[in-house]
Amino acid sequence: MTADIAIEERAAAELRREVARQFGRSLHIRTLDTGSCAACEQEIRLLAAPHYDLHRLGFFFTPAPRHADMLLVTGPMIRAFAVAASKTYEAMPEPKLVVATGACALGGVYPDDAFTYGRVDGVLPVDVWIPGCPPSPLALLQGLLVAVGRLAEKVSGLSFIARSPEGAHEDATAGGAA
Amino acid sequence: MTVTGTTPLSAVAAAADTQGPVVVTDVSAADLAGITKEVARAPGARLADMFADGTDPVMLRLVWALDSDQRYLITQTPIDTDDYPALSDIAPAAFVEECEIYEQFGVRPVGGKPLNRVAIPPPLGQGDIDLPRLGRAPAELPQDVHAPHVVGGQAFEFPFGPVRQVGVESLYYGLVTSGEEVVDLYMFTWHKHRGLEWRTQGKTPAQALFHVERAEGLGAVANGWAFASAAEAALGIEPSAPAQRCRAIALELERLYNHAAAIAALCQACGLAVGRAAAEIALEQLHRLNAAVFGHRYLFGVVDIGGAVVTPDTQALRAGLPDAYGELRRGGEALLATNSFVDRLEATGTVTEEAARRLGLVGPVARASGVAVDTRLDHCYGPYPGQLRLPAGQPGGDALARLKVMLDEVAASVSLVNALLDPVGLEQVGGSDLPGRSGPRSNTSGCEHSANTPVRTRPGRPTGRSGLGWAESSRGESLAWVELDSDGLIRRARLRPAAVRNWRGFDDACRSQNVFTDIPIIEASFWLTVAGLAR
Ligand code: SF4
Repeated sequence: MTADIAIEERAAAELRREVARQFGRSLHIRTLDTGSCAACEQEIRLLAAPHYDLHRLGFFFTPAPRHADMLLVTGPMIRAFAVAASKTYEAMPEPKLVVATGACALGGVYPDDAFTYGRVDGVLPVDVWIPGCPPSPLALLQGLLVAVGRLAEKVSGLSFIARSPEGAHEDATAGGAA
Repeated sequence: MTVTGTTPLSAVAAAADTQGPVVVTDVSAADLAGITKEVARAPGARLADMFADGTDPVMLRLVWALDSDQRYLITQTPIDTDDYPALSDIAPAAFVEECEIYEQFGVRPVGGKPLNRVAIPPPLGQGDIDLPRLGRAPAELPQDVHAPHVVGGQAFEFPFGPVRQVGVESLYYGLVTSGEEVVDLYMFTWHKHRGLEWRTQGKTPAQALFHVERAEGLGAVANGWAFASAAEAALGIEPSAPAQRCRAIALELERLYNHAAAIAALCQACGLAVGRAAAEIALEQLHRLNAAVFGHRYLFGVVDIGGAVVTPDTQALRAGLPDAYGELRRGGEALLATNSFVDRLEATGTVTEEAARRLGLVGPVARASGVAVDTRLDHCYGPYPGQLRLPAGQPGGDALARLKVMLDEVAASVSLVNALLDPVGLEQVGGSDLPGRSGPRSNTSGCEHSANTPVRTRPGRPTGRSGLGWAESSRGESLAWVELDSDGLIRRARLRPAAVRNWRGFDDACRSQNVFTDIPIIEASFWLTVAGLAR
């Protein structure tokens, strides 16, 4: 248990530093269930519990995809759910990240068949995979750490060029990504 | 061999002392309505499930729980035509299954009542998604039927979902409202339907168990146990006593973490952050305890066909359980002493005793409405002794009654785990140690039958053996039916987690003079899963 706490604290500190460095204030997560067994959802909810307290790390859950930087997706992507999943993804602003969460989302529980795509990247472009059935909150934290790095890469890859109505280019950023 | 008698109930009586806990009897299509009426009226009988299999003819099976008789009665009726008597007119609990059977097997109740879609989504622009079925397709797919607009012209529908709050399962609600009051509520769940019964076909029970546990991860032990029992009955094998005890310990740990999660969700729904944090501390402790004792936070992989895979680390269990329980008990007592919280739950989401019986509800939802059903007491299985005593439940039927039932059951589960660790002490398993609760309920008649006696099948059937299994999940009775072919592969498996029964009480609870903001509270107090329903 002591070793667990040490790992947890180290991961937490690293995560806090990364979120602060990359995003200044906070990073917002929207969850999406595409056919889970409900256990992955419970582990995600526990991230906000006192043992893990995701908020102290600068992460927040948001119900609105339009406020979300990251989509945490569980389940094997039921075909009947694909439209809802795509709409949720499209509603998110750039830069955005998809994190496939749990064995179902990775392709380890259901095959690609008439009911499901068998994995999340059948429909959404996945950036980070978190294995586990379900992944424990600690594994989720580790996955979020990787995801923050990926999101940082995406941010630095953006050009931030907006077009004026006449078609002339103008630099809209002056370096602010947070 | 099936049991015969002039009626199914006389067949049950005739079978007394000679048969196992499951009686199977044939009923002709012509007699089905009359016999359903007779059994539905019998005291202590409830319709626990209804399902079909085959194509020519479609075999319609009704599973009746005769709780006071400690037996299940299965009636099986071959349907040669396209329809059968409208059983939901007699036993309203059958409506969901009538819809499901039409979708999967193409036979419908007579009378042309509108049926809802259950697993097959409506066309999404490119025509119907053609999903594999368990039987033959219906002549015409059901219309996408909405709830009746009972206040014509004055109500409107408010669609909600399938993507909902953070960290909760996808579900589509149709809310019919006149502004604030919930006039009606209906649900569509095809967004989560994974075809699990279809997936089991052609597999060995051991192979299928992987998906059965994942049908509803928060009920992996109970659903796995029910399924394993059904397969064991079909195979004619019985797990050893230590394996049964191991399953029973895991089952109580599953109940404990689910009740803790429900209490946390109730606090969240009421905006009580301190209460939620306290419950989540206990919840995380319980998950860590599961991992220490059985090697998995959600107890996957404990149950096996014919036994249990994992031997529990009893030392870790003895060391860790008191702390987690203490945390949960203190939190529960504080909640019951918090008037603003108690007031919010009182009279919210009321399910009357009449509705609970009519809809065949089970588990804490039924027990909080004065319907004391619990398969650990009413149907013999597992290592439970004749003198097992468990909390009887609560009257009231509201969210507060459901919370009290859960708190009572937390205490009883801890006692039961301790007793299972020390089998000699099983007789002392008691009910609540919380003040102001109704007394415990006992199984005074004891366990008369040998559990897992193979269910008799029809003589001369070309295919092999079948069996019914059950277990008392944290949400109530979980049932499973397995029929094997001559190679020992699954021909038909029916999975009926408790969520399948209890969601049908949810819209009743939401309608009973509630407003929008009550819905999350009611949902938390039911603590069901969409996964268990849309399996
Ligand atoms: S990955 Fe495992 S725990 Fe998560 S939803 Fe799938 S089956 Fe459930």
